[in-house]
Amino acid sequence: MRKTNTRKRAIALVMASMMAMSLAGCGGGNDDANKGSSSNSGSTATSTSTSTGGEIDTSSHEVINMLVLGNRPTNGRLEAMLEQLNAILNEKVNAELEYTYVEWTDWQTQYNLQLLSGDTSLDLICTATDWLYGWENVIKGAFMPLTEDMLQTYAPNTYAQVTEDDDWEICKYDGDIYFIPEDNYIQYTNHGMFYRGDWAAEAGIPDGTITEFEQLTTYFQWIKDNQPDCIPWDVPGKNNTAGILGGYLTSKTDYTLFNGVGVGNYTDFWGVMQSDPGTVVSPYMESDALYDAAELMKEWNDMGVWREDVLNFDGDSREEMYAGTSGADQHHAQTYYSSIVPNMEAKQPGSDPKFYYWGMENQNVAHPLKLHQACAISANSQHPERALMVYDLLRTDEECYRLLNYGIEGEDYVVTDDGKLARPDGWDQSTDALDSNFWLGRNDDLELQDSTWWDGTQDFIANLNSIGYDYPFENFIIDTASIESKQAALANVLSKYIPQLAYGKFDDPRAAIDDMREELKAAGYDEVKASIQEDLDAFVAEHGEVQFVRGE
Amino acid sequence: MKKKTSQGTNAAVAVPYKKRSSLFKSLWNSRTLMLMCLPAIIFFIVFNYCPLPGIWIAFTNYNFRGGIFGSPFCGLDNFEFLINSGELWLLTRNTILYNLAFIVLGNIFQIVIALMLNEIRNKWFKKVSQTVMFLPYFISVVLIGAIAFNILNYDTGALNTLIRETGGDPLQIYSQAGIWPFIIFFCNMWQQTGYGSVVYFAAICGIDSSMVEAAEVDGATSWQRIRHIILPSLKGTFIILLLFALGGIMRGNFGLFWNLTGGVNSQLFETTDIIETFVYRTMTTQNNFSTSSAVGLYQSLFGFVLVMISNWVVKRIDPDYALF
Repeated sequence: MRKTNTRKRAIALVMASMMAMSLAGCGGGNDDANKGSSSNSGSTATSTSTSTGGEIDTSSHEVINMLVLGNRPTNGRLEAMLEQLNAILNEKVNAELEYTYVEWTDWQTQYNLQLLSGDTSLDLICTATDWLYGWENVIKGAFMPLTEDMLQTYAPNTYAQVTEDDDWEICKYDGDIYFIPEDNYIQYTNHGMFYRGDWAAEAGIPDGTITEFEQLTTYFQWIKDNQPDCIPWDVPGKNNTAGILGGYLTSKTDYTLFNGVGVGNYTDFWGVMQSDPGTVVSPYMESDALYDAAELMKEWNDMGVWREDVLNFDGDSREEMYAGTSGADQHHAQTYYSSIVPNMEAKQPGSDPKFYYWGMENQNVAHPLKLHQACAISANSQHPERALMVYDLLRTDEECYRLLNYGIEGEDYVVTDDGKLARPDGWDQSTDALDSNFWLGRNDDLELQDSTWWDGTQDFIANLNSIGYDYPFENFIIDTASIESKQAALANVLSKYIPQLAYGKFDDPRAAIDDMREELKAAGYDEVKASIQEDLDAFVAEHGEVQFVRGE
Repeated sequence: MKKKTSQGTNAAVAVPYKKRSSLFKSLWNSRTLMLMCLPAIIFFIVFNYCPLPGIWIAFTNYNFRGGIFGSPFCGLDNFEFLINSGELWLLTRNTILYNLAFIVLGNIFQIVIALMLNEIRNKWFKKVSQTVMFLPYFISVVLIGAIAFNILNYDTGALNTLIRETGGDPLQIYSQAGIWPFIIFFCNMWQQTGYGSVVYFAAICGIDSSMVEAAEVDGATSWQRIRHIILPSLKGTFIILLLFALGGIMRGNFGLFWNLTGGVNSQLFETTDIIETFVYRTMTTQNNFSTSSAVGLYQSLFGFVLVMISNWVVKRIDPDYALF
């Protein structure tokens, strides 16, 4: 009798405490975490000042969580690699690496929400100033400021590498470093259109090579007339609401955009014309080229270049291009030479895949951004020092680097006799890929030249190097806080008009653009422009006249 | 005929007033009841009262290092955005009109279905039809969106394929804002009617059967039974459901609207954009928490005022039916 009573009580107690804990988890947990992080950063300060050159305390085992973009692979290769990698990390710095993926479905939303949530388990975060809202998130406080002491102590090799190129300066906001740039890795990410050279030749385009935006019309028309089972460009407009209006503007004007001041999802709204680099402008508001762009898009829509319901379609035009059901796909240069060429050659033999990049005809191409990819430490990281130590190994230790980026030698990759990267027999990109997506700090010193890539890659890069200009606004940071509500109003106008302009859905695009411009004006275009102009003036005053230096 | 058809909802209010000193005693005396209420009370405290301070976000320029109370105060700037965008009126109009249609027509459909179910004598058929009508309620709106796209899209949709095969001109459904209110209304009714009719069906089952039998003996036809016994007995249930629904008149069925229209297809905004979809879109494309909180607050305040007004009106007409 007594016994059962005690047991009942014990069960009741357990249940009550479980309930209390689950309730406390909502509110209290965060507080604890905040305390943890503040005391932690306190200890950072003291330990960096005392331990420079001394011993680094790695007595406690830590789990370092890395946020990357990409779909979590399900083939088990990542786990197999991590097992080996973590054994090394454990031995060297008493830590292990864990992955958090932001999947491509709805990635813009997911990425920002993940950072906004103040998740305390994140340490290393993949960021970028041009496509991953880098500066916006710095301003919003998502990232931890890094001192040079801290970097020197915990990531000495990386520190030396970035210092050598003198690149810390572009990573600073208000005097503090926020990013570790992926600055020793060349990757052209200028966008454009992938198309099939064999069809382009049959369409009567000279040499089967498109060199001007308008030639795309000829190419699409030929597909429409001759390839009944193929949609000329089966673009998922739902995920790409701006279409290629921006591409047209790049090819037909000397426009250069500012990073980090996107209006909603429309990231190329603000910039300058290279002929007048001291004046802020938006071609969406002020350039006549937008009329031509919208009219061309209407022509394409009427032709049936894309599905009628393009804005509700969210398929994968790249896979469709491999399968021969889409005649084109839109993305950037690195995708072209790393994936499109090898895949098309394997899946559509003789298709002669080619790449028309925006700005080909007027050479409006910028050199790669050093902050096109970077690593940031989460503001809420519980152990930023260890995270830096792990990062340093991942970026500069050859063994770790190869494991992380290529996988297990012999199973995931092999090195050819001439030192290039190759894949074992039977390896298939679509089922065996490692997908570790370490875009936080790839390193050309350790990078193996990929023998599966297009063999013209080096020439292609050399050509772009010679015609491109250095992007002059890498460390131009715009004060977005003061214009936020006006920007939101502008974004709201754009979200109504741009998708329909980009896919030719207005009967009279000219009139629609005029309406849009009027609404933009009413929404505060001039005020935002004036505010950015002030920032630009200050930038010019500090760094001198903006110049577009071409060539290497 | 009795006018009052107590559904038991007023029972909780009818605790006799006592002195404050005996409050604890009365709580103690009804401790079993209190214990049974506890989960509900905790639920409301945790999910409805604890988050209330978060309203503050609506008046700040939220950043995540500062957090809710550390972010800079900006007064009514966020509300200014709503008015500046010029959409507040459109959103309010769309949200309210859709909800009015859902509430009024929805309730009528539900009552009609419940009456029809009640008249079915074949037990087996009754159960089957109830289940079939119930089923759509459990289909995810994501799936409904996908099904709708596969039926309605221009190039490969089932509907347009049929039209093409029979020699007609296919319809550009996803670029015509005008027909979307009907599509959305249809989907909503298809999904909700079966489920909603259960409440009315239960109310009908609860009607004192002696009344119905007496009417039958007196020779009333089934139409007369419905008209003079069943419908008047449903009045209380109807009004209470209506009041509850009116409280949510500013809230839209986000999942349904977002998934049916695709969310970013601006050709349809004019007739399909409701407060929820607008908030979600602006938040996710600009990660602007302040603005979305501001819209949420506007929505809640408006809803609150509406509940108070409608309750007051009902009280003036017949105090028995008022919620409080």
